[in-house]
Amino acid sequence: MIEFHQLTKRYGQHAALLDVSLSIAKGELIFLAGPSGAGKSTLFKMIAAIERPSFGRVLVNGQDVGKMPSSGLPYLRRNLGLIMQQNRLLTDRDVLANVMLPLLVTGATRGEAEKRARAALEKVGLLANAKSEPMSLSGGEQQRATIARAIVNRPQIILADEPTANLDRGNADKVLDAIRAFHGVGVTCLISTHDEQVLARAKRVIKLQEGRLIDEGVAA
Amino acid sequence: MITWIRHHTFALGRALRHIFKPRSGFLLNVIVVAIALALPFAGLTLLENVRPMSEQLAVEPEISVFMTMELPRERAIAAADAIRKTVGDAKNLARLDFVPREKALEALNEKSGLTDVIATLGSNPLPDSYVLKLAGFRDAADAERVDTIAAQLKTLPDVDSVQVDSTWVKRLAALLHILQLGLLFLALTLGVVVVAVVFNTIRLQVLTQRDEIEVSRLVGATNAFICRPFYYSGALLGLCAGAVALGLVALALQPLNGAIAEFARLYASEFRLVPLSVPASAILLVISSGLGLMGALMSVQRHLARMG
Repeated sequence: MIEFHQLTKRYGQHAALLDVSLSIAKGELIFLAGPSGAGKSTLFKMIAAIERPSFGRVLVNGQDVGKMPSSGLPYLRRNLGLIMQQNRLLTDRDVLANVMLPLLVTGATRGEAEKRARAALEKVGLLANAKSEPMSLSGGEQQRATIARAIVNRPQIILADEPTANLDRGNADKVLDAIRAFHGVGVTCLISTHDEQVLARAKRVIKLQEGRLIDEGVAA
Repeated sequence: MITWIRHHTFALGRALRHIFKPRSGFLLNVIVVAIALALPFAGLTLLENVRPMSEQLAVEPEISVFMTMELPRERAIAAADAIRKTVGDAKNLARLDFVPREKALEALNEKSGLTDVIATLGSNPLPDSYVLKLAGFRDAADAERVDTIAAQLKTLPDVDSVQVDSTWVKRLAALLHILQLGLLFLALTLGVVVVAVVFNTIRLQVLTQRDEIEVSRLVGATNAFICRPFYYSGALLGLCAGAVALGLVALALQPLNGAIAEFARLYASEFRLVPLSVPASAILLVISSGLGLMGALMSVQRHLARMG
């Protein structure tokens, strides 16, 4: 489903990713570990074509996203559920409107978008907060709202970049449980985290250090 | 098609929401653009009011052909054939009237109120004459042809002098042409000002909505989807400013017409300035919306490209 072939990304002299080759099968739940600056976020950006490779290839469903024309990127991203490090909820609208946005972008009717957005909010336990302002939610709730927005389009792949950063244990577990629930229905999930407790329970952990892949084995 | 309509409805909704948002500055921008548009709109209103006058006067130019003083009546009447021949094309000659010198004196007495002065002359000082009304002459270029005909008439035997009334029509037409060019230049300059104001307004809008643009891109929005609300904002700004400008010009006509009525009365005229017709106003609104759209297009393309 996702393949990296000798992927390298350089910013000037600095290599954020260096010669990374890796394959992720459909329906896998993979954790990405490594210290800050290891290249985890860059790897996500490569999959979503937010950044283009300096060398090598990234294939998503067999398509080389590095060579995809700009006009094709929106259609790639509609198949990806992106949960970024800083939750990017729009503060000028309520939670429901935030979750509806990916559907409106694809041309869904308001009625249909609202129905599906409410269902997504219910899945992450936030239906009661549908009409709340994003800033009135706690950090964990905001992150779950971001997850609802990421999954509302029923993507094939969820990319979660440090989704539990700055969250307490209880909220972190809720966020991870929400993502795991989608993995349970066949969605490919790629989660980056520092959280040792989470990593200890993971089946497959990919470790990065200074842009290099140092381990892609199964955690003990 | 339904999706296309849905996307446009969504974009229009976003644009309207932004416009009615408190502190959006939309009203202020409308006023600035409206003031810039009001000047060429006012100029156009003036030209549209004056143009029918010049056209009406130029439609049937008149040539007066004065025969020599002592010419016998028979020869004067016989000159009609030579005049018709000189004018040539029959459809150019709308009317040819012979004015006997007695009738001319009578008319002079009636119109000028100089009866006493004329009576002191003893004899009739006026010659027999012809008045030619020409047809099919529409503009200043045609007025040149009238001059040529007049020059040819002057060479006819027994013709003393020829008077053409097209000179002042030509002057008016030339003046209107200059005014039109001046107005075009003014409109172009202020059009650039309108585009620049909209460009800057949309630039600020793009910057304040940066987060929304980035998030929309991440969730799969196309560039067209992101740009559309800004295009609508620009076009709506132009449209509202155009409507305000037309309103300002119509309002300004009221006091102006008071002064014009006074002046026109001196010439026994009912002339007054009227606002532009509905079709002309609609065209101006389309143009002002187009200018707004152009400013938005340039601004969005430039600033979205910078955002990557």
